Amino acid sequence: MKSLFHTNIRQPLIFLFLVIASAMVANAQDSRIQTASLDYLAAKASQSVDVNVDERLMRMAAKVFSDQDADERKVKKLVEGLKGIYVRSFEFDTSGQYTAADLESIRTQLRGPGWTRMVNVTSKKDGNLEVYLLFHGEQVNGLAVLHSDEKELTVVNIVGPVDLDKLAELEGQFGVPELGIESQKPKTKNDDEK
Amino acid sequence: MKEDYLWDKTGEPDPKIQQLEEILGTLRYQPKPLELPQDLLAPRQRRNHFPLLAIAATVLLALLAAGIWLRVRTQSESQPNQASVAPAPPAVDEKAIVAKKNDEEVKKQKIEQVRKRGLPPLPRYTKREREEALAAKQQVMLALRLTTEKLSLVQKKTQSPSNQIKNQHRVG
Repeated sequence: MKSLFHTNIRQPLIFLFLVIASAMVANAQDSRIQTASLDYLAAKASQSVDVNVDERLMRMAAKVFSDQDADERKVKKLVEGLKGIYVRSFEFDTSGQYTAADLESIRTQLRGPGWTRMVNVTSKKDGNLEVYLLFHGEQVNGLAVLHSDEKELTVVNIVGPVDLDKLAELEGQFGVPELGIESQKPKTKNDDEK
Repeated sequence: MKEDYLWDKTGEPDPKIQQLEEILGTLRYQPKPLELPQDLLAPRQRRNHFPLLAIAATVLLALLAAGIWLRVRTQSESQPNQASVAPAPPAVDEKAIVAKKNDEEVKKQKIEQVRKRGLPPLPRYTKREREEALAAKQQVMLALRLTTEKLSLVQKKTQSPSNQIKNQHRVG
């Protein structure tokens, strides 16, 4: 009976393990950045922004953008293909409210497969700014911006195919500043952190 | 020598017969239960797929039940919303009915116009869904504003020669 149990249960267990493992691998490829580790900063922050728009809400929001208005039409085109937009932003009255470990928890995820750090700007005045793109072949499948200042920490994460052309079209609209973003894609990926 | 020994085991036995008896005696029938060898039993156990099939069937049934339950749940959730937009009660005066018919015709005409223009039909949200969609729109706008603000800052910094740029690639 013991051997019968082992023989019959082992196979489903192996199958279950394979299913879980494949799900974990698929999850690892997802461009969603987990920011739950930063939740505790909301209590310390003088001002915080928390935007969580998942795929369902994104689809709903896309429908209420007007087709008649040219500006809204551009935004609609941009958001239609997206799977989510997530923003965590904290502004503090005093410096040193967040730790290096907080930043590292985000950067660790951005070192994952597919992610490429495109820009890293260090400035005494404005702190550290990093821009990451998730490539799926030639297509940009996700965008992340990490801004860490003495009194500010912001994580922006756009999930899904980000059309940089369409993003560039938003410049100067709805208070969106001019960016000068071009549609050219980089030929090489910078993996200096890996 | 009498041959009674061979007949009814009486009398003096022949030593040769005794020797034969001893040799053949080891092959005598001994009552004991039938024992099949293990290598014959094991393949029969392996061939028994019933528990595996039972597990697979249970999982499938559970998935099916969950699917049905979710479908029923979503339908039951959407029904009250539809009920709230349902037509007015019967005790209404004729003017109201005519006005309502006119409204419906105007709505139909608008939808037809939109269809003729090749645009998708307007979303039919309930009040609650519309509020949710508008809130999501606001969130999307806020997120895009923040994103482009940060990207703008990056652009300014990458264009400024005094700043230390670690990566050579620019966005785009």
